[in-house]
Amino acid sequence: MIKIWRETGVIANDPWVIETDEVKAAGEQRPLLSLDALIARANESNDVGLGVVITPFDDVGRLEPYLSRLEIVAVSFPAFNDGRAFSQASLLRARLGYTNELRAVGDILIDQIPLMLRVGIDSFAVSNPTALKRLEERRLPGIPHYYQPTAQAAEAGETYSWRRKPSPAA
Amino acid sequence: MYRYDEFDHAFVSERVAQFRDQVERRLAGELSEDAFKPLRLMNGVYLQLHAYMLRIAIPYGTLNSKQMRMLAHVARTYDRGYGHFTTRQNLQFNWPKLSDMPDVLAELATVEMHAIQTSGNCIRNVTADHFAGAAADEVADPRPYAEILRQWSSVHPEFSFLPRKFKIAVTGAERDRAAIQVHDIGLHLKKNDKGELGFAVYVGGGQGRTPMIAKLIRDFLPEEDLLSYTTAIMRVYNLHGRRDNKYKARIKILVHETGVEELARQVEVEFAKLRDTELRLPEKDVQAIAAYFAPPALGERPEGWENLARWKKADEDFARWVKQNVQPHKNPDYGMVTISLKPIGGIPGDATDAQMDAVAEIAEEYAFDEIRVSHEQNLILPHVALADLEPVYRALVAAGLATANAGLITDIIACPGLDYCALANARSIPVAQEISARFGAPERQAEIGELKIKISGCINACGHHHVGHIGLLGVEKKGAELYQITLGGSGDEQTSIGEIIGRGFEPEKVTDAIEKIVDTYLGLRLDPQETFLTAYRRVGPQPFKDALYGGNAAEAA
Repeated sequence: MIKIWRETGVIANDPWVIETDEVKAAGEQRPLLSLDALIARANESNDVGLGVVITPFDDVGRLEPYLSRLEIVAVSFPAFNDGRAFSQASLLRARLGYTNELRAVGDILIDQIPLMLRVGIDSFAVSNPTALKRLEERRLPGIPHYYQPTAQAAEAGETYSWRRKPSPAA
Repeated sequence: MYRYDEFDHAFVSERVAQFRDQVERRLAGELSEDAFKPLRLMNGVYLQLHAYMLRIAIPYGTLNSKQMRMLAHVARTYDRGYGHFTTRQNLQFNWPKLSDMPDVLAELATVEMHAIQTSGNCIRNVTADHFAGAAADEVADPRPYAEILRQWSSVHPEFSFLPRKFKIAVTGAERDRAAIQVHDIGLHLKKNDKGELGFAVYVGGGQGRTPMIAKLIRDFLPEEDLLSYTTAIMRVYNLHGRRDNKYKARIKILVHETGVEELARQVEVEFAKLRDTELRLPEKDVQAIAAYFAPPALGERPEGWENLARWKKADEDFARWVKQNVQPHKNPDYGMVTISLKPIGGIPGDATDAQMDAVAEIAEEYAFDEIRVSHEQNLILPHVALADLEPVYRALVAAGLATANAGLITDIIACPGLDYCALANARSIPVAQEISARFGAPERQAEIGELKIKISGCINACGHHHVGHIGLLGVEKKGAELYQITLGGSGDEQTSIGEIIGRGFEPEKVTDAIEKIVDTYLGLRLDPQETFLTAYRRVGPQPFKDALYGGNAAEAA
């Protein structure tokens, strides 16, 4: 059972579905298109509010012309130790200036979520029971002292230029 | 040396709490060993053949006597009374209980130590010249930059799940004692024509089953761009490094398969976009970190010259130790002392709790409280007045730490091998012990001169055999151990990968083979000043093949 978690809590009635040959968005559901499908759809329509799921092999730079029309970008962790999406998320946020929902899908474990938050991922499709339990209890195993600036907003002014602390609002 | 501020203390204790929680989940069965593995690895905990092993970070090999005493305490309290100094300037404990690990880490945190990123597919402990800040030939101390990189890479969210481990080494002298060309990134700190500090950047070096020498991708990177340029390299590697085969996942393979020009171009493109961001290093921050590494106030001690001459005349063993284990300091009244952890017939890199305490005491009394760990598995006292060498020597003799063999044939690097390691195919330690015993006579070692033997118990090359003047690689063939010999490797500013000389040798024959190689060298060298490596580079492998295989060298085993 996959649940969608954001820092506000578990999201009910999430409409986004990763489309495959077998699975298609139906009724109220909305599709997360592949990168190629998204680009094709965007080029042949004026649709906005689109969703895309990118694989670790995709070049996120290709999304640049379409960012304003995207409501959600999903980045994939096919295995918890495949860390390419950390760089893709960093590029989407810090380089391309994407501000809408950025979701992690795939093998999402509790110990990785604090790191994912820091590169700007703000939505998580979670099925791991331990991760779900901890998220519901809001027990995130993060370290609130950072030695590097990242896409997630954080407070500077901590002795050295590279250090950060969580923003008070966060 | 660097001292933690409140921020660092808070970070490390939060990391201990985080790991304690992970260990508790493992012990409660909430985490499987498979799920726990990447978490423990990121904190230096390995599962070895017989027990868990804990690897403690000694950033760029620098520590003080308080920290050394803590290591002695951990060895005594949680282990079997000894620890093992490694080729990455770290320390390993081989027998701690998993349930004790959080307590060990909490104790270490009280003296500003940790085990963060001593393993796992992340940026590992940054290493540097073990003579940094003391060597006469140094342009500038590389440790402030190693410390900045250490901080910046600590729990870096973007680079904690890289394709494979990632090692950075920094040197500040032309003479490369940090082996930067066999690291994923090698930084050579130097000055440009205007006298500004910056780095020559090498990328894609490494040992393992595919040894490669790093390629120069930037001749001069300004100091202020250190973090942005490193981020650019890391990002290119994280996105494009291979993940389909762990043996092809290091950045050296990406460099090789992409081509160094194309890889350098990709890095430059990324760097151009990162250069003017918050990653730029302000001069005041570099200065503030550098201030921690200001050299101690070394008073004038000219009496040492005369005393030293007199002591050497009176005691031949002392004279031999000074000749071999003391090197010139930038201040002529001082020397840099190598404390050999290679007793004749002993286990390379091991030290007992009592020995660690003794080194701490000597460092406190005579060496401005500074100790280094070298990548050659020895300890260094970087600042010792010549006038204090005699009492230092006596104290080392009492602790069994005065072996006069730094840089000689018995100063052997060896990985833990099949005695401890789950990856090994063959034993390393007994081979090192037998070679050490065979060549242990001081006169014989002195006659042979500088010769680096390095032994790995498997193809992963933790014993750095590829860069040994004589390298030994343990392999398993039809259920038996066999040792393949390579000659002519070197890990300095003229890095070379050793060449396989021929078929391998059984454990009981390998020391004889080494002896034949050494005798061949002694017979063909032009004069005693021509070292083994220089002679090998002059004559090539043939005379050694002839000696070992009677001119009938078989294919490599």
